[in-house]
Amino acid sequence: MNNEEDIITKIVVISSDSVLPIDAAMKVYESENAITIKETCFGTMVTGPRAAVDRVVAELRNMDRNHIFVKERGFHPGDERRCRAVRGGGPRPGFHYLREEVQMLPMIGKALDAYDQHVPPAEIHRTDKIDVKKLKDIIESNL
Amino acid sequence: MAKVIIYPINSLILSDLVERFGHKPLAMMEKIKDKVNTVGVDSPPLNITAEEPKKGLKYAAVEVPAGVRGRMSIVGPMIDEAEAAVIVNEASMAFGCMGCARTNELTKYLIRQKEIPILEVEYPRSEEEGKEFVYKIAEFLKSLPMESRS
Amino acid sequence: MSKEKQVKVALVSCGSEYAGVQGELDKVTASVNAKLIFPEIDIASLDTIGRDFGIEAASPDLRLMMARAQAVVEGISDVDGVFITSCFRCAEAAIVRNEVRRYINKHSNIPVISYSFTERTTAATLMTRMEALTTIARRKHLLAREHQTGLTAGIDSGSTTTKAVIMKDDKIIGQGWVPTIKVIDSATEAFNHALEEAGVKAEEIQAIGTTGYGRFLIGEHFKAQLVQEEITVNSKGAVYLANKQKGSATVIDIGGMDNKAISVEDGIPGMFTMGGICAGASGRFLDMTAKRLGVEITELGSLAVKGMQEKVDMNSYCIVFGIQSLVNSLAKGSRPEDVAAAACHSVVEQIFEQQLQEVDVKEPLILVGGSSLIEGVPKALSTLLKIDVLVPKNSHLIGAVGSALLASGFVEE
Repeated sequence: MNNEEDIITKIVVISSDSVLPIDAAMKVYESENAITIKETCFGTMVTGPRAAVDRVVAELRNMDRNHIFVKERGFHPGDERRCRAVRGGGPRPGFHYLREEVQMLPMIGKALDAYDQHVPPAEIHRTDKIDVKKLKDIIESNL
Repeated sequence: MAKVIIYPINSLILSDLVERFGHKPLAMMEKIKDKVNTVGVDSPPLNITAEEPKKGLKYAAVEVPAGVRGRMSIVGPMIDEAEAAVIVNEASMAFGCMGCARTNELTKYLIRQKEIPILEVEYPRSEEEGKEFVYKIAEFLKSLPMESRS
Repeated sequence: MSKEKQVKVALVSCGSEYAGVQGELDKVTASVNAKLIFPEIDIASLDTIGRDFGIEAASPDLRLMMARAQAVVEGISDVDGVFITSCFRCAEAAIVRNEVRRYINKHSNIPVISYSFTERTTAATLMTRMEALTTIARRKHLLAREHQTGLTAGIDSGSTTTKAVIMKDDKIIGQGWVPTIKVIDSATEAFNHALEEAGVKAEEIQAIGTTGYGRFLIGEHFKAQLVQEEITVNSKGAVYLANKQKGSATVIDIGGMDNKAISVEDGIPGMFTMGGICAGASGRFLDMTAKRLGVEITELGSLAVKGMQEKVDMNSYCIVFGIQSLVNSLAKGSRPEDVAAAACHSVVEQIFEQQLQEVDVKEPLILVGGSSLIEGVPKALSTLLKIDVLVPKNSHLIGAVGSALLASGFVEE
C-alpha cells in the first residue's frame, strides 16, 4: 500500500453558515492536484500526501475558522474493510460516534467565537444530588 | 508543541481543538491507520491479530478479556508517548475504538497515573457549559510548552 | 456445498475486531459458504436502546449489539442466522450476550449461536458451530424429515467411539459400536458389524450419512450422500428416537470429548452450545473413573445408582483435579459406589454450570450419547434439575441413527 509515501486522510466537517461543503470542495480542486476528496454525510474526506493534505486543510479552515473541524481518519475512503457495501449493511462503528459529535459542532463553534472575543464563560452552577435527609423530609411532607 | 492524548481517544472535537491550538493530538485514528496499512498482515478489518492481545499484557493482566488487551496494545503506547492529556468525563456514547467501557476505565486510569499536565472537563450539557468547556480546554492548551520536548 | 445459496449470518458482537478473532470468524463463515453481515440499524435507536431493550450497559458496543439484535428481529436486517459473540471473561458482555440470545430466540425463528472467544479462538474451533448454523438455515426441508425410508446407513465417527447403524423403514436392523482408533479403519469395522447384523451388502445401501469428528474423512471414504455436523444430526436423532418430533425439547449429548446442549423446536435446533472447559465434564472423566475403580464402563452406572454422591467431595471442573479428588477419596476409604455416584454428579454439575446456562431448558429433556447409558448420569441430572430425564432406547447410537434418518432424504432424490 502507500507506506513509503505518507498518504493520509483527514475528515473535514463543515458546520458553517457561510461556507457550504461544495465551496470547500471547489477550494480543494483549485489548490491541489495531488489530493482526492470524497463527500460524505458528515464531511469531506481529503486524501493525499501529508504535506498537501495539511496545506489544503489549513486553507479550508481559514474559510470559516471556528466552524470547520478536522480530524485524521484511520481508513482511507472506500477501504473495503470498512465499506458498507462489503460489510453487508451497517456502517463502521466510528460512524455512529462521529454523528454524535457533529451534532455538537454548532455549540463548539459559538464557544470558539466567544473565546476569540475574550468573553469569559459564565459561572456555572451544577446541582449535586439531593441529600438523603432532605429527600426524606420531602417524602414525609408529601404523604 | 506537546503531544496531547485525548479522551475519548477518537474524538473529532478534541482532536480538532488540540491541533487548532498548536499541539499534536495523539489520537486512535493515526494508530489505526498504521495498523491497517501494514503490508503483509491480513486480518481485516483492523489488522489486529492474536498477537495484539498478547502485546496488551503490558497494560492488563492475562485474566482481562482479549478485546480489552487488544485495544490496550494500541492505546497503551499512546499513553506512554503522551506529554499532556485532555479528558472529557461523561462523554456521550462512543463506539468502535471507544466501545468497551472496561478499556475506557483502564485508559483513563493509566493517563491519570502519569505525571503530566492533565485537564479534566465535564461533557457540556448546555450552550453555557459549552463555552466553559472550550474556554478551559483552550486555556489549558495555551499553557502547554509550544516547543517540542523530544 | 458450493451449489447451495450463500447463507447470511448476522454478526452481533463486541470486541471481536480488537481481540484478533475477526479474521477467524470471516474464515470460518467463508468455509461454509456463508457471509457475515453487520446488521444495518436505525441510528436513532442507539440513543434509547438501553432503556428500550432494558439493559443500560456501560459499553457502547454492547448497546450496538442490542440495537443490531433488534434490527434482526424487526426484519430491518434480512439474515438467515445470528452469531452472537463477545470476549470470554467479560461479565458485562456475558449478561448482554445471554439476553440478546434469548430475545432473538423469543421473537424470531432465526437460529442463533452464542460464543465467547479468547485471542486463541480459531476458525477450526468454530467450524462445527458455524456449520450447524448454516445447515439449519439452509436445509430446513431436510431437517423436517420425520421418517427413515429405504435402506440407509449412518456412521458416527466420534472422538472416543465409532457407531454405525443400518436402518430400513424406521427400524434399526443392524448396528456396530467400536472404539475409535484409526478413523477409517474403525468406521469400516463398525459399518461391517452393522451390515453383518442386518444381513445386507454394502452395495445394497441406498444412501449413507456421516457425522462426528471424523465425518469428512469417512464421508469421502464411503462416498456418503450426507456429511453433517453432530449438532443438527443429534438433535434430529434424539427427538426421533424419543418420539418427540413435535414441539419443544432439550437435547443433552455427553460425548467422549465434549458435550452439546441443544434447544430444539419441532426437531430443528434453535439455540445450542458445545464444548465445555475441560474433558472433566465429558464422558472421558467417567471412563477414567471406571478404570480407577477397576470396573467396566458398562458397570459404572449400576454402581453409581447404589452410591451417595454427597459422601464424596469431587469437582471435575478440571480433569486432573477431578482424578486427584477421586484418588484422595479412595485413599480415605470412600466406598466405590459413592465415588462412582460423585463422578456422575460432578460431570452433570459441569454441564449444568457450563452449558445449560446458555440454552433454555424445556421439557422433555432428552439425554443421549454413550454416557447416557451409565445409569448414574441421568439420575444425577434429574436430581440436579428436578425434572424427568428421558433416555431413549439406543441413545448411544444417536449420531448414527440421525445420519441414517437424514440420509434417507437422498434416497428419493
